[in-house]
Amino acid sequence: MKPPKKKFESFPFCLGLLKRQIRDHREKMESVLLPTLTKKEEIDRIINNTIDKVLVLRFGRTSDENCLLLDDILEKSARDVSKFATVALVDVDSDQVQVYVNYFDITLFPSTVFFFNAHHMKLDSGTADHTKWVGKFHEKQDFIDVVEVIFRGAMKGKMIVHCPLPPERIPKFQLLYKDV
Amino acid sequence: MATLEDSFLADLDDLSDNEAELDESDGDDAKKDEEDIDMDMADLETLNYDDLDSVSKLQKSQRYLDIMQKVEEALGKESDGTEKGTVLEDDPEYKLIVDCNQLSVDIENEIAIVHNFIRDKYRLKFQELESLVNHPIDYARVVKKIGNETDLTLVDLEGLLPSAIIMVVSVTALTTKGSPLPEDVLHKTLEACDRALDLDSARKKVLDFVESKMGSIAPNLSAIVGSAVAAKLMGTAGGLSALAKMPACNVQVLGHKRKNLAGFSSATSQLRVGYLEQTEIFQSTPPALKSRAGRILAAKSTLAARVDATRGDPSGTNGKALREEIRKKIEKWQEPPPARQPKPLPVPDSEPKKRRGGRRLRKMKERYAVTDMRKLANRMAFGTPEESSLGDGLGEGYGMLGQAGSNRLRISSVPSKLKINPTIAKKLKERNYAGGATTSGLTSSLAFTPVQGIELCNPQQALGLGSGTQSTYFSESGTFSKLKKI
Repeated sequence: MKPPKKKFESFPFCLGLLKRQIRDHREKMESVLLPTLTKKEEIDRIINNTIDKVLVLRFGRTSDENCLLLDDILEKSARDVSKFATVALVDVDSDQVQVYVNYFDITLFPSTVFFFNAHHMKLDSGTADHTKWVGKFHEKQDFIDVVEVIFRGAMKGKMIVHCPLPPERIPKFQLLYKDV
Repeated sequence: MATLEDSFLADLDDLSDNEAELDESDGDDAKKDEEDIDMDMADLETLNYDDLDSVSKLQKSQRYLDIMQKVEEALGKESDGTEKGTVLEDDPEYKLIVDCNQLSVDIENEIAIVHNFIRDKYRLKFQELESLVNHPIDYARVVKKIGNETDLTLVDLEGLLPSAIIMVVSVTALTTKGSPLPEDVLHKTLEACDRALDLDSARKKVLDFVESKMGSIAPNLSAIVGSAVAAKLMGTAGGLSALAKMPACNVQVLGHKRKNLAGFSSATSQLRVGYLEQTEIFQSTPPALKSRAGRILAAKSTLAARVDATRGDPSGTNGKALREEIRKKIEKWQEPPPARQPKPLPVPDSEPKKRRGGRRLRKMKERYAVTDMRKLANRMAFGTPEESSLGDGLGEGYGMLGQAGSNRLRISSVPSKLKINPTIAKKLKERNYAGGATTSGLTSSLAFTPVQGIELCNPQQALGLGSGTQSTYFSESGTFSKLKKI
């Protein structure tokens, strides 16, 4: 008495595994794009509306290579810090934004400015300019560390915080004062 | 053996007397058949299985012959189809089906009895065969094939048994302690084998008939499990209403065969499924989900059987819906779980640090705790100036330490639990040894100083430093100065 013939059983199981891989890959590929701001009202609104969260504003152009690298890191870590930070991009080529560019004295791109509860947070990273972060971050973790330090300092009521990164990771730049 | 033969002959005499009685009472009623069987069972000890007909009476009974005839007829002609009574039980075809079910159960019992008979006879020839081949029909076939043959290489068991079992059988036959049977016993055994095979084929016929009618008898059940399995389930349960009354867990194991393991481990594949194993749904599920599939199949088929028993849904739509439900559930089990989204980091300092307590922490804290001595030194008595290490209020104040008013007579300077620097510990040990009554023989009160040469009282000790060589070389608390690895 022979047992009844079995159909090829592992096929549906393999199909299930394949489905899972495709779905995971697809979910990793998509990411919510960071909001790009071009108008003064938008910037005002976002600064005023972000409550109890660090606001990271990147000033730069999408054509710049450094800017793109920084944007990549910002996009990847935006979800991780989403509970205590918001990230937004400001396009520096738009006219209305020039007010802010002049106010913050932004000459080199990309530059990142940090806010907390509509208050401008300063970051002492060993460079000459404490009001902003110039250049790109070496790693996603570096950016997360900086945001965390800013958050902790701000929650304690500090106006300026000390950068936790080692000096090798901090991009160096020359400050020109009135073309001297 | 002679005495055994004599007893056999004596029983034969007994038997012929009994047979005369039994032949008379061989009637049409099933009830009488049962009585006969009871009497047979009672007489079996004395009869000693010598004649097959005294043991297996079913094939000669009228009931059996009637039903077989009806089945043959029904298999021949086409089914009517339309005429069905509102109550299932009134339908003549259903009655036939019920009878067939009952008959198939009876035939199975009969086969078991005949199998016992064959076994007992064949035990003298090949005892181990009964444990190697469990199934009665297979056993009958094998016995018929082997016959009285001693050399199993001349016997071709291909197709009767799986090849592993054939091998085991051939090997066991070489070492069996049985002897060939006498001619008449052999004849009787072969007759019994034929009887068993006849009964088996009759049962198959009955089941085929039931299966072909299953679509009209139990449409919902056959929609789920298929008509063959439905027929088998009904046959084993003994009718549709009996099947409907069974709880689903019983339906799951209807028809579960005891497998002959022949040395294989019984730890693997312990699925509790009977006839349901042969259903299409069960065969097509992946092995990991088979046990769950078996359970859900049993549950839904029991529901369908209950619907059929009350003739609630003659068209079978209920059964189809249940089948669809089962299919959907099995598919859902095979879905991969939802992918884990990477969690965003928690807000810094939002979760307070969990301070752990417990015995371990307490023991750790004891090592750095404030000692009693230090506590006393921290307090001061009112009105009395405290003593200090350098005197006159300079240096460390001693507080209540050593004061007359303090309660303690003695205060241990260093409790055992405190953590002490190892160099300080060594110095303390030496100081204790130096002041102790029992000193080692290696110590001497003489000190060798560069200025005076030998001095009785050590000038360095006054300064609080021991003599260099004395304190290290002859020191009790010292270790080996030079260790060489061999």
